[in-house]
Amino acid sequence: MAASDSGTDDSLYPIAVLIDELKNEDVQLRLNSIKKLSTIALALGVERTRSELIPFLTETIYDEDEVLLALAEQLGNFINLVGGCEYAHCLLPPLETLATVEETVVRDKAVASLRAVSAHHSPQALEQHFVPLVQRLTGGDWFTSRASACGLFSVCYPRVSAPVKAELRENFRSLCQDDTPMVRRAAAYKLGEFARVVEVEYVKSDLIPMFVTLAQDEQDSVRLLAAEACAVVAALLPPEDMEQLVMPTVRERAGDSSWRVRYMVAEKFVDLQQAVGPELARTDLAQIFQALLKDTEAEVRAAAAEKVKDFCMNLDKAHQEQIIMTMILPQIKDLVCDPNQHVKSALASIIMGLSPIVGRQNTIEHLLPLFLTQLKDECPEVRLNIISNLECVNEVIGIQQLVQSLLPAIVELAEDTKWRVRLAIIEHMPLLAGQLGQEFFDEKLTGLCMSWLIDHVYAIREAATLNLKKLVEQYGASWAETNVIPKVLAMSREQNYLHRMTYLFCINVLSEVCGKDITTRVLLPTVLSMADDNVANVRFNVAKTLQKMAPYLDPAVIQPQVKPVLEKLNVDPDVDVKYFASEAIAGIAG
Amino acid sequence: MGDVDKWIEIAKRCKYLPEDDLRQLCDIVCDLLKDEPNVQPVQTPVTVCGDIHGQFYDLEELFHIGGQVPDTKYIFMGDYVDRGYYSLETLTLLMALKARYPDRLILLRGNHETCQITKVYGFYDECLNKYGNANAWKDCCRVFDMLTVAALIDETIFCVHGGLSPEIAKIDQIRLIDRNQQIPHKGAFCDLLWSDPGDLKKWSVSPRGAGWLFGSDVTEQFMTLNKLNLICRAHQLVNDGYKYMFDKRLVTIWSAPNYCYRCGNEASIMEFKTVNDRNAKIFQAVPDSEREVPPQHTTPYFL
Repeated sequence: MAASDSGTDDSLYPIAVLIDELKNEDVQLRLNSIKKLSTIALALGVERTRSELIPFLTETIYDEDEVLLALAEQLGNFINLVGGCEYAHCLLPPLETLATVEETVVRDKAVASLRAVSAHHSPQALEQHFVPLVQRLTGGDWFTSRASACGLFSVCYPRVSAPVKAELRENFRSLCQDDTPMVRRAAAYKLGEFARVVEVEYVKSDLIPMFVTLAQDEQDSVRLLAAEACAVVAALLPPEDMEQLVMPTVRERAGDSSWRVRYMVAEKFVDLQQAVGPELARTDLAQIFQALLKDTEAEVRAAAAEKVKDFCMNLDKAHQEQIIMTMILPQIKDLVCDPNQHVKSALASIIMGLSPIVGRQNTIEHLLPLFLTQLKDECPEVRLNIISNLECVNEVIGIQQLVQSLLPAIVELAEDTKWRVRLAIIEHMPLLAGQLGQEFFDEKLTGLCMSWLIDHVYAIREAATLNLKKLVEQYGASWAETNVIPKVLAMSREQNYLHRMTYLFCINVLSEVCGKDITTRVLLPTVLSMADDNVANVRFNVAKTLQKMAPYLDPAVIQPQVKPVLEKLNVDPDVDVKYFASEAIAGIAG
Repeated sequence: MGDVDKWIEIAKRCKYLPEDDLRQLCDIVCDLLKDEPNVQPVQTPVTVCGDIHGQFYDLEELFHIGGQVPDTKYIFMGDYVDRGYYSLETLTLLMALKARYPDRLILLRGNHETCQITKVYGFYDECLNKYGNANAWKDCCRVFDMLTVAALIDETIFCVHGGLSPEIAKIDQIRLIDRNQQIPHKGAFCDLLWSDPGDLKKWSVSPRGAGWLFGSDVTEQFMTLNKLNLICRAHQLVNDGYKYMFDKRLVTIWSAPNYCYRCGNEASIMEFKTVNDRNAKIFQAVPDSEREVPPQHTTPYFL
């Protein structure tokens, strides 16, 4: 685009505004102008964006971090505005500067944009522009630029020529051996990602030695990241190299003097297990895992406890049971009584999952006592985690066995002081109802289900009504008429208005499942009689309930019975009663 | 109603409204509040709540325990904003519910519902941060100035944010206050929102620098003269969620569990089925798995 020869005022205007606003004292204005950068670039056209705007930005980078952050982000999406892939390299200078600033957030954003921009470079352009940038950052005086460099290797490495690749590997090595821990940390963090794009032979010859060194770094924050990379690196190597190249590091880090490192090993344990393969998992990892479950730090034990199920599941079938029974189970028995509640809670979230793996006999013999202990744990979270996973045990040992051993504990929990625990129990009732059979359920649990209807927490009362509906769905309307409805009807005459409200909430859901006859004959008269309640909240719930139950009523009663009551509510002194009555009238008519 | 229902849905998800919608909501609420007297008469059954302070997820918990609006009628005794992470969303939800069910939700004014205080204790910053300008905050401040001062349940239970004032002997005197203004630094209006009960008989200077410490004798006097059964007030953190004083004639109710996400206290709401049948419901903070903590902002100086 050639600048028009006459008045350049017009075409200069946008950049003039930009410069003006960029110099404004108000950060907000500067920020706004940066955020509108793409509009300005569009107005200038690609050529002037390249030749004027980008150099201008490169030179004037000196601002609050918030503005720099916005700029770093914008530039990542600028490819089309500078003329497409062919000119992608124009964006490198300002991003390079941004990648060296003090503030981590800005640098990270600049690196992210550089990575995005690199994808638009041709292999030649990469070698000509991008790789030199990476190398300049690598050789930077200040640690910020070297730390930023670490994140750029993996994006350019796959598409450059062999000699350049060798240089890049050499550059990365120097970063791994950097004097400052910040850079070594960045290198350790990106090592896995880089290893994925490097040829296996060089992973073995170049990266593994760096990895081993980083894993022995004097700083635990570096070792920690190396431990994290361990599973990634291991996954890239052929099985025969595992013992020699990876396992020594795993063993050392699992016994690291810093708990944070051990925690990371525990955290990544299942990935590691899958990477090293079943043979080593059996001979070596099981032992290491056992040690992590016994760790002196609660955080480590909790992280390991969380992995127990997955670790056991991934063991090879031939030895699975033997390893679990001899090595893992004894540790679990200890963890059930761990002094730390996070550890117990982590264990409780997965322990039920062991049932299908060890089978019926072992579950009854060894796991059930542990479930029971955890069900009675003083910490509600532990109890909750157990209850939420009941069904996986159910499938293995059958409901009868489960009920015999666990029902007393469940009934106890139904009266737990934490309402979320009670809620979890309620949510399992339909499942228990389905498997216990009606007779048994009536004997042991129906009473409990009714008692939740008068719980002092609203959310429990609400869940209890929904539970009733699900029970009626399973056991049928006649069961409802004999076992549920009489008790519910009694609530409509209670002194406590909350019970009367709960009655209405029950009717809302029960009318859907009780059938026309019961709904019209039994439920409706009580609802209608409550239209004279002295509490307005009850009255408008009568209106709401009538609207909800109308479709399930005998159509013959709508006009003579329902309508007059709604008409009366429609002239109630309370506005909300009036509103819901008019809604109901409209709803039933329509 | 359509808009209001939509706003309630948004606010219930802990989201805030577009600026224009918030302005509309504030207008609706201002219009409603304008017609409320300084001492709003309320009939039982009703549930009385104390400070919330922007703890949105704990307000959600409160509704789980006490029941949803409109099925339960509530009096909130002020201090909806400041300190917690979600003052804006909390206030938005309460205002939207107020707009939809004006008779089921009574919102009293707390000492934090005023421009100067919100500017210092977080609500202003939060609005600026979320909207990028102060318009929303200004709209909310308009609502604050309209909030009613006190509520009177069945003519015998007096609800107010702070407490009594030496300038107020009869409840009728409260009815004469011009409440449509910022909370003044002294005088009856200020006292009602700032005072605390104290372990003394008469009056003494409040360590807060506003309002008074009022004692057992002056409380008894006020109650006899006005034929009251009970005074409910909020304003002070109490570890067990509620605390009776003066021979159970006054109760402090606090509804922000684990206040500021670190105090470890319980919270409560007081359910009045009738004047004489009341029940304090204790609740704890929502477990962390059920709440979201907003990400930290990189540039606090920028605010």
